Amino acid sequence: MTGVGELPETRSVTLSVNGERHEIDVETRMTLADCLRRKLGKTGTHLGCEHGVCGACTVLVDGRSARGCLMLAVQANGAEITTVEGLASRGGEWHPLQQAFHEHHALQCGFCTAGILTSMVEFLGENPDPTEDEVREALSGNICRCTGYQGIVRAVLDAAGRLRARNGAIAP
Amino acid sequence: MSARGDDGGAGTWVGRPVPRKEDPRLLRGIGTYIDDVPEPRGTLHLAVLRSPYAHARIGAVDASEAEALEGVVAVVTGADIADLIPPFTADYERPGFKVSRRSVLATDKARFVGDGVALILAENAYVAEDALGLVLVDYEQLPAVSDIEDALKPDAPRVHEELADNVLVEGGHGTEGFNEVFEAADHVLRERFRVNRVAGVAMEPRGCLAVYEKSDDAVTLWTGTQVPHMLRVGIARCLGWPESRVRVVAPDVGGGFGPKMYLYPEELLAVAMAREYRCPVKWIEDRLEDFLTTLQARDHVYEVAVAFDGDGVVKAVSVDALVNSGAYSTYPMGVGLEPFQGPLNMPGPYRFRQFAFTCKGIATNTCSTGAYRGVSAPGVAMAMEGMMDRVARRLGLDRVEVRRRNLVGPDEFPYVNVVDQLYVTGSYVECMNRALEMVDYEGYLAARPPERLVDGKYRGIGVAVVTELGGQGAARYKARGLSDLPGFDTARVELGPDGRVLATTSFSSQGQGHETVFAQIVADELGVPVDDVTVRGGDTGASPFGTGTFASRGAVVGGGAVMRASGELREKVRRFAAHLLEASPDDIVLEGGHAHVRGVRQMRIGFRDVARAAHGLTESMQLPEGEEFGLEAAATYDPEASSVSNACHIACVGVDAATGLVEVERYIVVHDCGRVVNPLLVKGQIQGGVAQGLGQVLFEEILYDAEGQMLSGTLMDYMVPTALDVPTLEMEHVESPATDNIGGFKGAGEGGVIGALPAVACAVGDALAPLGANVNRLPLRPDTVLGLIEGVGA
Repeated sequence: MTGVGELPETRSVTLSVNGERHEIDVETRMTLADCLRRKLGKTGTHLGCEHGVCGACTVLVDGRSARGCLMLAVQANGAEITTVEGLASRGGEWHPLQQAFHEHHALQCGFCTAGILTSMVEFLGENPDPTEDEVREALSGNICRCTGYQGIVRAVLDAAGRLRARNGAIAP
Repeated sequence: MSARGDDGGAGTWVGRPVPRKEDPRLLRGIGTYIDDVPEPRGTLHLAVLRSPYAHARIGAVDASEAEALEGVVAVVTGADIADLIPPFTADYERPGFKVSRRSVLATDKARFVGDGVALILAENAYVAEDALGLVLVDYEQLPAVSDIEDALKPDAPRVHEELADNVLVEGGHGTEGFNEVFEAADHVLRERFRVNRVAGVAMEPRGCLAVYEKSDDAVTLWTGTQVPHMLRVGIARCLGWPESRVRVVAPDVGGGFGPKMYLYPEELLAVAMAREYRCPVKWIEDRLEDFLTTLQARDHVYEVAVAFDGDGVVKAVSVDALVNSGAYSTYPMGVGLEPFQGPLNMPGPYRFRQFAFTCKGIATNTCSTGAYRGVSAPGVAMAMEGMMDRVARRLGLDRVEVRRRNLVGPDEFPYVNVVDQLYVTGSYVECMNRALEMVDYEGYLAARPPERLVDGKYRGIGVAVVTELGGQGAARYKARGLSDLPGFDTARVELGPDGRVLATTSFSSQGQGHETVFAQIVADELGVPVDDVTVRGGDTGASPFGTGTFASRGAVVGGGAVMRASGELREKVRRFAAHLLEASPDDIVLEGGHAHVRGVRQMRIGFRDVARAAHGLTESMQLPEGEEFGLEAAATYDPEASSVSNACHIACVGVDAATGLVEVERYIVVHDCGRVVNPLLVKGQIQGGVAQGLGQVLFEEILYDAEGQMLSGTLMDYMVPTALDVPTLEMEHVESPATDNIGGFKGAGEGGVIGALPAVACAVGDALAPLGANVNRLPLRPDTVLGLIEGVGA
């Protein structure tokens, strides 16, 4: 704990972000979200509440969703991190979720979108063929104030189908 | 004569569900919201020290320890900047208004929890926040008042001591002969409705970056605003600067909903500090600051009386509205917005001819209130529809039948309602009929047992018929005395030398999709593919002057300006093309990015060739006689009347008898916003609006205790709807194009929330009607509903 008036402690951490390795010095008190945004320029991750409720800052840490505002950068030392910027292919081809969000008008202001996309990447990885209720349950950790969620639910269900097709699964 | 195709018919883009042009950058995470705008080297971070008391005199401020903290550049108090930033106001000096002023940092006393007292400038945001804890302020706590009725008591603490009382604005009006008609009516019902205080909760909190431009001695303010031009006018006026020294830019903005159409103290502070310290100054609020200081809304009491005959025909309505205005008036809307908009929206789709109202806006030691999606319309719609249900219950009539007897009918348009609002076209009965069919109203009622209890839940259905005023221009704003809202908007459309189109408007976007819908309008007017059109706005340095984005005015006023400018440009393109094709301009058809001679498709020329000629990029002179170089046109649009959209919302709810939890089981909307530009986006507006409305009905509430301390300052305490709370909407559209504006469009931004409050409140009222429960206040949280069930039914 840094006392008032003292210089905050810094640590060297290694983060792999969207497949790119970064070795950086961060203040121990810096959140992962601030580190990604301010140190690494990954401003696609947004801060909506900074108390872990809205979900806008959700990123994947070693494949698991995490609130970027509730995790310190030093805690992510050595981890593989995926942000929204890492969802499209290297060639720029959209992730099926991004494509479906576009077609179903699943975003308006777009501020919550990054956290929803990363959350849904994890969710569809675990549950490739969800019901609408399961999608809504999975979405309930992310707040969207613009859309009323209907387009998002449709898009996630649609993306699930595209992912199953892509992965060669047999749709029921 | 049409220039839009050989069939002479309508264009091909307006009306189509074109996916948004905005999406690619936002989906890839490369949008630029305010905190993403690159910070110039040496940016200082501003943090505001806020009063922890709702009402306190400010004594000595000891900043020595904060100033000594490494990384802190300055600590500035209200007294330090009293000359730099004079107190500002938007109270209009009109009868009924009292003028109150606000210092951007309080100098004499703090008037609500969150009122700014001092600011920190530091090298980074973490240090700025550290320093806040080191400033010592000598507060003398004063008695505070947060409730409107307490604030009206003669011995109430006075928020503004220089004023005689806490009433910041009052007004009223009655139609001639009101009393006679009211007293002669067979029946009178009275009810008191309380509408909860809510917050917009845009997912992106407010923030700004003020960049000092040395060479011009000017400041560029990047800020998440709905109204860049209004902000520039307000900032320049307040600081006494020429407008040329202020440029306001709204980048991508993460939700607006009304609260971001105001000038905030932090914006003035950032601009003034940037110039004072000759460096960039950045402020980004956190969610607690957002709850404490971003404008809130509602917190109204409506005393309603309805006089009607034995057939349920309403003869006269009166409403006395009390509105909690919070601590300060606000710029540019002033303190009259919510108090007057309540009563004026009260008649809605109904045709009664006698109406009387009074309204008061009352100062309290709470955050200021103002515009939030629908302004006062959702609350008064709940009151009006609630009264229709009460009339039906009193007379033993079906409530749909009562509405049918009072609605403006299909043959009555154009109709001027009791408050002189023109309804040029509409579909009130038609939308209701269709919604009733969709829900199978008769079937629903027939299937329900008399006590309405099925599987432990009371089942109820609510029918709401609502109107939505939007798309207002100068005439409407000037009638309200709003000196700082111009009303018109502007578009400039250019066909560049490469044959592609750039449309720049006075609008800025907070997620509405203007880049897409304006492009659709341009594409039809000019005969180009929508992909060839780029739409920009939100930058006073590049966009033409205009009013901005709020009150469902984008499609009507912005779209209107775009349409006019594109239309002018179309004629110029036709003249150039005619010259190049050696034909008459009247015979030129623009289609698919080409101009051709009507009926002779092989006689054609691409826009690029027309544009190169018009820009002098040709070997020989190819300027038609009487023409000037360049292909651009600018136009303003200022609609005379409001657009009036309408809808019928029907909610079916289950109220858990054991827990009081209200579940919305079905939700139907039949909506009419005139000519639809993009059905995908209109649907999104309605769905989002309904979700916000459900939030307000079911659980959202900003709560203050009697001392003015906020009890709902986190997203755990202030509950906005999640995906589990919002049902799938069943929606259909009816199109009654406006005939009194250029595009035939009507506003669509607010109707969702306006319909949701009455639909759900009426459904809960219906579910609990056998218990005699009186649903007259929001929100209908489980504890409140359980009280209604147990209090009456037990």
